[in-house]
Amino acid sequence: MVNENSVKDVVKEPYKYGFITDIETEKIEKGLNEDIIKLISQKKEEPKFLLDFRLKAFKKWQKMKEPDWAALGYKKIDYQDIIYYSAPKQKEKISSLDEVDPKLLETFDKLGIPLTEQKKLTNVAVDAVFDSVSIATTFREELAEHGVIFCSISEAVKNHADLIEKYLGTVVPASDNYFAALNSAVFSDGSFVYIPKGVTCPMDLSSYFRINSGDSGQFERTLIIAEESSSVSYLEGCTAPMFDTNTLHAAVVELIALDDASIKYSTVQNWYAGDEEGIGGIFNFVTKRGKCLGKRSKISWSQVETGSAITWKYPSCLLLGEESVGEFYSVALTNNLQQADTGTKMIHIGPKTKSTIVSKGISAGNSKNSYRGLVKMGTKATGSRNYSQCDSMLIGDQASANTFPYIKSQQPNSEIEHEASTCRISEDQLFYLQSRGIEFEEAVSMMVSGFCRDVFNQLPMEFAAEADKLLALKLEGSVG
Amino acid sequence: MEIIEKIKTNKSNDYLTEIQKICRHKLQSSPLPNPKSELWRLSNKSKLSNFLDYTFNEKDSKFDIPYPKNPQSTIRLIIGENCQIKLIEKNYSIQQLSEDELQKYIKEQISFFKQNENWSDLLNLSLSCKNHILGLKINGSKIPPIEIFSHASSNSLNAKTLVIFLEKNCDVELLQVNLGKENSSLSQSTFFCLKENSSVNHGVVSYGENRSNLLNSLNVIQQKNSAYNLGSLHFKFNYARFEISIKQSAGNAKTNIKSMQITKKDEQISTYTKIEFNGPNGFLDQINKSLADDKSHAIFEGSIIVPKIAQRTDASQLSRNLLLSNLAQIDTKPQLEIIADDVKCKHGATISQLNEEELFYMRTRGITLTEASKLQLSSYFQEIISFIPISKDRWDLLDKLLNEN
Repeated sequence: MVNENSVKDVVKEPYKYGFITDIETEKIEKGLNEDIIKLISQKKEEPKFLLDFRLKAFKKWQKMKEPDWAALGYKKIDYQDIIYYSAPKQKEKISSLDEVDPKLLETFDKLGIPLTEQKKLTNVAVDAVFDSVSIATTFREELAEHGVIFCSISEAVKNHADLIEKYLGTVVPASDNYFAALNSAVFSDGSFVYIPKGVTCPMDLSSYFRINSGDSGQFERTLIIAEESSSVSYLEGCTAPMFDTNTLHAAVVELIALDDASIKYSTVQNWYAGDEEGIGGIFNFVTKRGKCLGKRSKISWSQVETGSAITWKYPSCLLLGEESVGEFYSVALTNNLQQADTGTKMIHIGPKTKSTIVSKGISAGNSKNSYRGLVKMGTKATGSRNYSQCDSMLIGDQASANTFPYIKSQQPNSEIEHEASTCRISEDQLFYLQSRGIEFEEAVSMMVSGFCRDVFNQLPMEFAAEADKLLALKLEGSVG
Repeated sequence: MEIIEKIKTNKSNDYLTEIQKICRHKLQSSPLPNPKSELWRLSNKSKLSNFLDYTFNEKDSKFDIPYPKNPQSTIRLIIGENCQIKLIEKNYSIQQLSEDELQKYIKEQISFFKQNENWSDLLNLSLSCKNHILGLKINGSKIPPIEIFSHASSNSLNAKTLVIFLEKNCDVELLQVNLGKENSSLSQSTFFCLKENSSVNHGVVSYGENRSNLLNSLNVIQQKNSAYNLGSLHFKFNYARFEISIKQSAGNAKTNIKSMQITKKDEQISTYTKIEFNGPNGFLDQINKSLADDKSHAIFEGSIIVPKIAQRTDASQLSRNLLLSNLAQIDTKPQLEIIADDVKCKHGATISQLNEEELFYMRTRGITLTEASKLQLSSYFQEIISFIPISKDRWDLLDKLLNEN
């Protein structure tokens, strides 16, 4: 018989990224109105089209209602009590990493993000975003040699305004949903990636988001464009200090893949989740969507969601191009009082499109973990296929696991298959492993890792190892 | 809508007065279901409004049962006609529920009702009249099969209610037939209470005629060690909703559901199921099949709710759908809500068309495409039809489905 407490003990490791960087920051006043938006736009020296985009989004947002359909319960967010722009004070223009405030470098060093020269050997280009601004992007010259543009979105607005104007808001329009509209109005920074025709990005690109300030929200915006026959693998990581207040994170990610292009977008989300009593933690409301515009294009989302007090996130694919492919691989782990309502949308519009969904949810403690997904076959999606698999694992008798798959078909010549199951850590398997001399904690960890294997296999090498470790740490103390 | 006014003014002077009052009160704030709510968002608004457009009718026209001769062994009842029954035999008894029993049970049930979730029942009971409620208390074993008919007269809306108590250790086969006459709306609510160790094979066959509509709701409470087997078939309705709510009140019960809806032309037929396990060791095996052709729309939404108390629940739900036309559509949403950890729950859903390889195989054996399609469809239907009690041998349901439709 498995001892409930001992499994729970396996999961208690304090949040190790919870430190605060003591740095002078420039903040604007709390609240949200047209003047604030104009101020953000002015600070970023944005062209008029972008200010118009923001103001239009703000008008739409004012008319919208906060969605309440997700299986989440949280106290009402006061949108006027949030600082919409916060940036570490540093010299106006930085020409090299040496000019970045050492405290910031130290922060990212502590987080294990390779910004400094010696760590650049990892061959991953990083864009590091601290509160509302991007502080450094590495490997830019090397990438530029291949024609790859990788910079913060603020820089892209200045240097590649044509691309921004052409693509921004085409995948996630400002009116898409409440949080997307909010983001469109106040987005501060984020990453911009452009892979030119025929280029395979020579290294993995990565963005690292760090919230440092307790009273400001983070509203980053990422735009990735993969031209014909190009490919890129993009990694995203997130952490935040421990505050006993809730911080809002409302990001928008837009991906565009043209003919034969492929984008792989991987996330390890480890925002501060709040303490055991559910105090503090990030409210994570994210809209991520990819558009497979071209023939045979491919967008693959893989995510490991372990942090945040509230997660509301549905990375989606619009499969427009003939034979385009959408993939979604997700592990969502909730512990203590965390709540996650996450899943995907696969909208098959073009013919012979294919999508695969593999979602693994693990709920421990008093947490709530829901999978919510939509698979839709449009009238022109002839010969299209979808396969979905959603498995949930429950640890302890206080956690809940929900599955809400919405399936809609308007095309007889297409096939949809969905399956879902719920289980717990099998006592027989635990006993077997223990009888082979494997420690209890390790046995649990192995089983959880095995449960998530299908998803971890899809993660880039560095992330897969990190995710595995992260999961083992997060689970410490929750398995019984 | 006239019917909404009718709900507000409908007043009977019997045991139903209080029930109607409660229902009206629950419908007062918004008399129609919220079209944005999860349970009603896919429902065709104009079809629902068409359902309510017919004149409410408390009196039935003469009804001829369009089925083969009644074999002697079967007990046949028609709600609204021969509602008087009292059979006390050596092994079993079938009696009518007293007005007090009916009132008490219905009141208890509606106290949990919510406006959107139980709108069909609230509408039904707001319109109910004494002659159109049949309450039965069934006891004993070796009970002959029972057939119960409901129908709506042409150009009118009828509300029929059925309440059945299965006493302890009782075992029965019961078939409910809902018939929609041309241009009619039928509101049928059924309340089933299975006491300990009782078991029922329940069949629900609903089929309509030209432009007929149906709101069919089924509420089942299962006590310990009871077994509830449901086989249902809905077809030929312009608009039909079948809402199933099953509660295993103390767990340790078994539920088997095999349901099917077939839509053609511009029909919309939907099945909503909600299975709650309020105790440990519950069992559920559910399959829902849909077939949508022409411009029709078939919907299935099923939820399984397993709270903390329902440890060792074993539940499976499968939604299988055939989409046969470019203009038809299918929506399906099987869902699980689980808190207990020691459970085995799974669901699956598929949407596809007829298997081309099988069709090809049959054609290479000299079977025409039409015949081959029929053969494939008949095997698709057979799994459900064979689960419907009594009906299968006498009623040629399969022929009806393959040829008439």
